[in-house]
Amino acid sequence: MLEARKGHTRQNRRRRERAVLLFIRLTAVLALAVMASILLYLLINGLPAINLAFLTEFPRDSMQKGGVLPAILGTVVLALGALLTAIPLGFGAAVYLAEYARPGVLVSFIRLGVSNLAGVPSVVFGLFGLSLFVTTFGFGRSILSGSLTLGLLILPTVTASAEEALRQTPQSFREAALALGASRWQAIRQVVLPAALPGMLTGSILALGRAAGETAPIMFTAAAAYTLAPPDSIFREVMALSTHIYNLATNSTHIEETRPQQFGAALVLLVLVLGLSMFAIVIRAKLRRGRKW
Amino acid sequence: MVEDSVIISARNVDFYYGDFQALKNINIDILRDEVTAMIGPSGCGKSTFLKLLNRMNDFVPGARLSGEIFIGGESIYAPEADPVVIRRRVGMVFQRPNPFAKSIYDNICYGPRLVGVKKPKELDELTEKALRAAALWEEVKDKLGKSALELSGGQQQRVCIARALALEPDILLMDEPTSALDPIATAKVEEWIKDSGLSIVIVTHNMQQAARISDKTAYFFLGELIEFGPTKELFTRPKEVKTENYITGRFG
Amino acid sequence: MKDAPEKTPPLDSPGIIRLQPKLSRAERGVKFFFLLCAVSALGSMFLIMIFLFMEAGGLFFSGDEGAGVGLKEFFLSLDWYPTYPDPSFGSLALVLGSLSVTLVSILLATPFGIGLAIYLSSVAGPRVREWLKPAVELLASIPSVILGFVGMVAVAPFMQNVLNLPTGLNVLNASLFLAIMATPTIASLGDDALSAVSQAVTDGSYALGATRWETISRVILPASLSGLSTAVILGLGRALGETIVVLMVAGGAAQAPHSLFDPVRPLTSTLAAEMGETAIGSRHYHALFALGAVLFVLTLAFNLLAFYLARRWREKS
Repeated sequence: MLEARKGHTRQNRRRRERAVLLFIRLTAVLALAVMASILLYLLINGLPAINLAFLTEFPRDSMQKGGVLPAILGTVVLALGALLTAIPLGFGAAVYLAEYARPGVLVSFIRLGVSNLAGVPSVVFGLFGLSLFVTTFGFGRSILSGSLTLGLLILPTVTASAEEALRQTPQSFREAALALGASRWQAIRQVVLPAALPGMLTGSILALGRAAGETAPIMFTAAAAYTLAPPDSIFREVMALSTHIYNLATNSTHIEETRPQQFGAALVLLVLVLGLSMFAIVIRAKLRRGRKW
Repeated sequence: MVEDSVIISARNVDFYYGDFQALKNINIDILRDEVTAMIGPSGCGKSTFLKLLNRMNDFVPGARLSGEIFIGGESIYAPEADPVVIRRRVGMVFQRPNPFAKSIYDNICYGPRLVGVKKPKELDELTEKALRAAALWEEVKDKLGKSALELSGGQQQRVCIARALALEPDILLMDEPTSALDPIATAKVEEWIKDSGLSIVIVTHNMQQAARISDKTAYFFLGELIEFGPTKELFTRPKEVKTENYITGRFG
Repeated sequence: MKDAPEKTPPLDSPGIIRLQPKLSRAERGVKFFFLLCAVSALGSMFLIMIFLFMEAGGLFFSGDEGAGVGLKEFFLSLDWYPTYPDPSFGSLALVLGSLSVTLVSILLATPFGIGLAIYLSSVAGPRVREWLKPAVELLASIPSVILGFVGMVAVAPFMQNVLNLPTGLNVLNASLFLAIMATPTIASLGDDALSAVSQAVTDGSYALGATRWETISRVILPASLSGLSTAVILGLGRALGETIVVLMVAGGAAQAPHSLFDPVRPLTSTLAAEMGETAIGSRHYHALFALGAVLFVLTLAFNLLAFYLARRWREKS
């Protein structure tokens, strides 16, 4: 009885098979198409606005003319500041989780903290930064407040990728060092960290890109709509590309007139963020392929 | 038996991983300048015992011990014993070659640098001596700056041996050191063990290897030390039935 | 001869010592330093919670600006008129705004995210996967302000003209872009879950004569269900907490939506739009923190659920 069925449903099965796989392939095509159209749209509209002056000059005439130099500088400074905040804490946390921690209640709570911090909405980080850094600590709207806020925002990402890199260094490295009479910390510092560091830094570059692209956390903690002052002190407020785009597109008095500036700034930000991500992804692939252990 | 020729002695050693008793009442005296092989089916406790000798089991969660182990007359599990110092005196070579992701030179110098040797000249000398002792000097003397990970498996394992020897240990522990190597590399390492003249304790799952290279052999089974004696006797005239079953391949 | 390993004597039997890595005083100091780093994330969570709830509390107690707002009004009133002479602080319209865009976006993103995950893990060849996986990662890293900008400048006018709507800034448009943000999250987490199903199980299914889709649907998907739910929930959390996209594209009207084409004002965009313009310490300021607290609790719930599911999933595999 079964013998007959084995060939029986073949036609039907094939047709359904093809339909479903078609849909699955379509999703991949669609994802690429969406990304490509966004990139193309910004390229076509943004490229005409971009020239050397746009990248190297201050805005003029209520932002209708001139460039976005201070916003680029501000974004770079804030993102680096965030990384400077997140790397010591994140790498330290990763070393604890990967090298010292033994499974238990404490570690579960720490992991719970990291994974939940990753899910806190970025605007809530903004509120927190406003309340703690800007007001309570009295740092004001400044590079310092913005960097600390962004730093906490990317802390989970930095921690997770650093822990991953540490876990990928083979256990045998640690054993060998310990068997030679290294202390725990000597083994970590001299053998494990040098091997894991490239991977840890690659993860941090991805986080750097994320920090550069964020808007909500810096809106009330660091960003000025317009300032001529250079970012020469950590207590200065700065312009940033993301908030600049938002302000020009929604709040300014010349929304239509500054359109080219908006597209230009959007393209610069996109290139900056995607460039960082791509750089990190390429390095990561290289590291994985070049690894001998 | 002359008292001071004993380098390792274990007295009434019981060892537990959590609820599992891995070693039962082990008593053994291992002599200086001899090669001692430990054989037995996997899970018999031979590797566990080896790792007790340089306190590497300290890192295993839930590990517990009773009894005493003496190395050179000192109780290594006494409260005042410092595991770091013990590990500098008792070298270890692992199952898989595990050189660090550093140059050959930095691999060998790792131990000496830990104990504070800083002068380049001294380090150079120690490196050459250790590599010669591991019979690797001629092969790598021109590429000491190269990453140790670029060597062949057999060469990597000899780098690991040299790395351990650079600290001039009293004893060298080897945990199945040829199980990841090809026959030619295995032969080289075996030859080295036979000619080294050092006190070596080697765990192996390969009975022929034990017969070829060791002076004494210990047979472990289910956490117990069944028989211990000169290798020739143990392989030709075993005293215990269990040993006989194992070496004749009659069991498992 | 005893075959079975003996049970251990109790821990405090005489002569038994517990082996532990021995750390010198300096080593213990190093370890403690790293522990402090590790606790910092947890500490930040608590600080965020404390500051949110502390600042939010100011709304519900009497102060310089008169009697405190009742909990009932805050949670159940649709009226959000924080700057009126006789202000009212009802959050319901904003919560509904958040939930509507989140729900619609997740309905859009789930099939595509899961489809993409299946494609990555089980359909694509290794070479395609090697390119597509980073591409998905790049899609996830596009800054939200850029997506919001595109939604505002390109999609909104298009939607308004084609569908003849009063405004193109509405639930559907915002959901569309939230879905673009959530899809890569779902896809890459989903891919992890699907890829964790062992090759042996899959081969077993093929060997019984199952087709590719039959293997995927009957073997791989059921085995990775909780991993996939984690992916969707985290995508949901991301959409719920996303700020700039909805601020620019959702339209900003504080009303309960009746259709896909109504403009709404989600919690996040309310915070972003109004926080810059309110005096620190005012009732409006406290009200915004109360909204932040609501948002925090909602996303925390999703995250805890995802954390719980992910753990169960890991324990099973």
